[in-house]
Amino acid sequence: MKHLIFVAGIIMVLVFTASTSMSKPYNGKVICRVETEKSVLFAGEAQDVVIKVTLDAPPVPSYVQRPPVNLSIVLDKSGSMNGEKIKHAKAAAIEAVQRLGNADIFSLVVYDSNVHTVIPAQLVRNRDRIVSKIQRIYASGSTALFGGVSQGASEIRKHIGSEYIHRIILLSDGLANVGPQSPVALGRLGAALIKENISVTTIGVGYDYNEDLMTRLSQKSDGNSYFVETGSELPRIFAAELGDVLNVVAKKIKVVISMPDGVEPISIIGREGRIKGKKIELSMNQLYGDQEKYALVKVKVPKSSTGTIMEIAKAKVRYENPFNKKTEVVYGKSIAKFSKDPKLVKKSTNVKVVREYYRNLNAMEQEKAISLSDKGKNKEAVQALKASAVKMKSIAKEYNDEVLLEEAEDMEKQAEVIETDGMNKKMRKVLRTESYQMKNQQKAE
Amino acid sequence: MKSRPFIILFWVLLLVPAVIISVVAFKLLLHEQERINRSTIISLTERAETLARNIHITVKEVEESLSRALIDIEPDKLKSTLLFWEETNPLIRNVFIWEKKSLLKYPAKGMASTLEERQFVSRFDSFFTGERAFAVNIQTEEIEQPSQYQSSKGSLYDLARGKTAMSTEIQGIQEQDLNSGKIVFTQQSGWIPWFAQDQLFILGWVKKIRNGPVYGIELELVSLLSRLVVDLPQIEGQGLSFAILDSRKQIVHLSGGIEIEDTHACDISTPLSVLLPHWQVCIFFDRENYAPGKGFLYVSMLLLFIFMAAIISGGLLITSQTRKHMKDAMQKTSFVSSVSHELKTPLTSIRMYSELMLDGRSVSKEKTKHYLEVMVAQSQRLTRLINNILDFGKLEQGKKTYNKGEVNLRNLLIRIIDAHSIRIKKAGFKINTNISKEAYKVISDSDAIEQVILNLIDNALKYAKSGKFIAFALEDDFKNYILLKISDHGPGILRKHQKAIFEKFYRIDNSLTSTFPGSGLGLSIARQILRDLGGDLYFEPTSEGGSCFIARIPKQDASK
Repeated sequence: MKHLIFVAGIIMVLVFTASTSMSKPYNGKVICRVETEKSVLFAGEAQDVVIKVTLDAPPVPSYVQRPPVNLSIVLDKSGSMNGEKIKHAKAAAIEAVQRLGNADIFSLVVYDSNVHTVIPAQLVRNRDRIVSKIQRIYASGSTALFGGVSQGASEIRKHIGSEYIHRIILLSDGLANVGPQSPVALGRLGAALIKENISVTTIGVGYDYNEDLMTRLSQKSDGNSYFVETGSELPRIFAAELGDVLNVVAKKIKVVISMPDGVEPISIIGREGRIKGKKIELSMNQLYGDQEKYALVKVKVPKSSTGTIMEIAKAKVRYENPFNKKTEVVYGKSIAKFSKDPKLVKKSTNVKVVREYYRNLNAMEQEKAISLSDKGKNKEAVQALKASAVKMKSIAKEYNDEVLLEEAEDMEKQAEVIETDGMNKKMRKVLRTESYQMKNQQKAE
Repeated sequence: MKSRPFIILFWVLLLVPAVIISVVAFKLLLHEQERINRSTIISLTERAETLARNIHITVKEVEESLSRALIDIEPDKLKSTLLFWEETNPLIRNVFIWEKKSLLKYPAKGMASTLEERQFVSRFDSFFTGERAFAVNIQTEEIEQPSQYQSSKGSLYDLARGKTAMSTEIQGIQEQDLNSGKIVFTQQSGWIPWFAQDQLFILGWVKKIRNGPVYGIELELVSLLSRLVVDLPQIEGQGLSFAILDSRKQIVHLSGGIEIEDTHACDISTPLSVLLPHWQVCIFFDRENYAPGKGFLYVSMLLLFIFMAAIISGGLLITSQTRKHMKDAMQKTSFVSSVSHELKTPLTSIRMYSELMLDGRSVSKEKTKHYLEVMVAQSQRLTRLINNILDFGKLEQGKKTYNKGEVNLRNLLIRIIDAHSIRIKKAGFKINTNISKEAYKVISDSDAIEQVILNLIDNALKYAKSGKFIAFALEDDFKNYILLKISDHGPGILRKHQKAIFEKFYRIDNSLTSTFPGSGLGLSIARQILRDLGGDLYFEPTSEGGSCFIARIPKQDASK
């Protein structure tokens, strides 16, 4: 009898443990940090202060089942993709199929001057059949990028109501020459797609694709953007991209930064948002597990006396938790002291905030350099890049920041390349993609 | 059907209608081709129009349901609803709220709006500043709102849906209602296609209450297009493409097998919709590849050609056959009469001499001998003639057999000349021989060759009467043949007859009154025998104008 009770007890314990581990809810919340560039501000004068609102996404533990993915790959199979590029692109698509689980949905659209759905949206069950269909793709024709993305979105929409993470991966090496083809138009398409929770990740292959269009599309739809010189890097990017897709921990994020009386918002750096009186409103579409995304804003802090402790800004972050489908709200605030001691002020510098601020400024300079060289003003472009590098270098030295120093040196090299060779296709793509990745805090790569 | 002109006449009678039928058929085919081309263009145009109509209906439906949704917004939730839509509806690019007095209420000015919103405001600036009225494409719906429902706004929705009425009818009710103290809602809405920076933008607006705010949305055209294009039919096949072109003639959507280089070179175009002004559906087709009638024309032309070829060649065949049969019939008739004549002559001699001998009038031995010699010669002639006829029959049927063995041509020729020298000399010819002492050995049939030689000698005796000699020669061509030449000094043969003399039954003078007797078989038989033995017989005029027949006899057995 004792034995029986003992055994029954053990079984109950096991069942209980199993049931708790099975149904253990995932409660990882996004953490919001609000930091000023210096925690001690100089007393006695009004000043501009950079505030960094950081959202730290928690890592997703392995026991948590990720939501299923609804992936559509849109593949440019125009004539220019012929050869190695299409071969690698196919390999990458096959890699993606192999990585998806049985509950995921996969579709594949190819386009040249026309658009064809090679694999209509379906559960990834019969992998062999899908792979053999992918292998039969060959390259020819011109480039109907808009139609391709539209078709990809249409495949995604077949399961739009369901609880999937929706993503299109667009791979192209050429200019769109059929259908709307301006960066603005494709940007609007991206903006419309994100309203349906569809993100478009763009991968540009080689030197002939339109980087403005591709980055704009992914930026507006909150996807990632990549530039690869050869197709051989594709499988790796696809793997990274799918890793990202599978780990979204926050969606539809709204950040409201509010300032107390006396503190005035001046500008938002590197992101789009609204300044409404004492409030700054920003939105981000999604946050991946273990990812850090941030917003930088500049505010004017009033003259204060030594010893004052002041709340500079507080942030309210509202987002949708894809795991429990609830709306979560987290808060953060930043407090600063005031002191007349310059050493103390300098010592209190938050290097991370300063670094990101300058990196963002640098990204803006990169964009400016592109637009200058597009207008044929290569000299001015080089000057802008060099000035930005000098600035970053001096800041890096001031705060002894190696990351920033390295970036400044990269920038100098890029400026030199442009100075000697002009803004070539490759450099333009590097600058455009880097500035995009910076501004968007792209996690992958 | 007996004479040549008749045959030609009948042939022409066959040919002329055939040619006329062909020409008419060709013209009809061209017409048919044109008709098919025309109907292709008509059907393509219809397809383009259907496509345009479908797109128009879709866009109209989108606009109407958006208008309806805008109208249905509860006034106190106007801003929040619009903002929610802007954020979630992919078809909505921007939203606005405008009042006549305070002008634009939303989007806010300055930094409180995004860059996109600022651009939107500047695009439609002339409307938002009041410079231009919204009521461009106006649709008016007037809904009676009884005063008792004024407070319960939820029911307004139902009422508006249920009691839509024509504006003309409403005018009266409006007056009445005003008098009776009820409030009348005048709902106006419209869609404005607007070009800014050479691009089309579409603004939808609603004015729900008289003197109330005008609010609305800017349509996300790209998103609408993106949804439209995936539902458009795919054009399969070569040589045809459908394209939707925007106001700048840029391709918005393309389906089909033609790569388009110049969008201005559109084959068929039709305006897309009044809702999307200056946009068009364009069809490009490659007249070489996309012409369903072309194949029809080619096939029909081929059939017509075969028909013509069959008629003409059939006519020619019948004509030539008829002519051949006529010729054969004439030659056979002449052959029979010639042969009868040929048979009759020796028979008459034999009969005459044998009757003389029977009467016993000839007493002298010499005379009797002469008579007998004549009878023998004439019976030999008869035998040769009959042999020739028999041989001809065998040769025709391919039944003649040859006994081959080693033949010494020199000896054979000399023996034949010796045997016939009396006959030749009696006919008034001298015999010239040019035969060396060589043996001229061949493997052949000596009887057959003898027959050839005899036929040639007979011919010479018959036709070269004016000649003074018959020459015989043997030559070795030092290759594979021995050449046996028999020539005379006669009148020769006209060039036009030189080939035909070897044809069976052919005689230069074929009339019954012909000076020369003959069956027209000798040369034909001689040539056929030589060919069977692997050699040949041909004619060469001599330098003096006479005839020379050359028999080419193979040294070895070269027969088939």
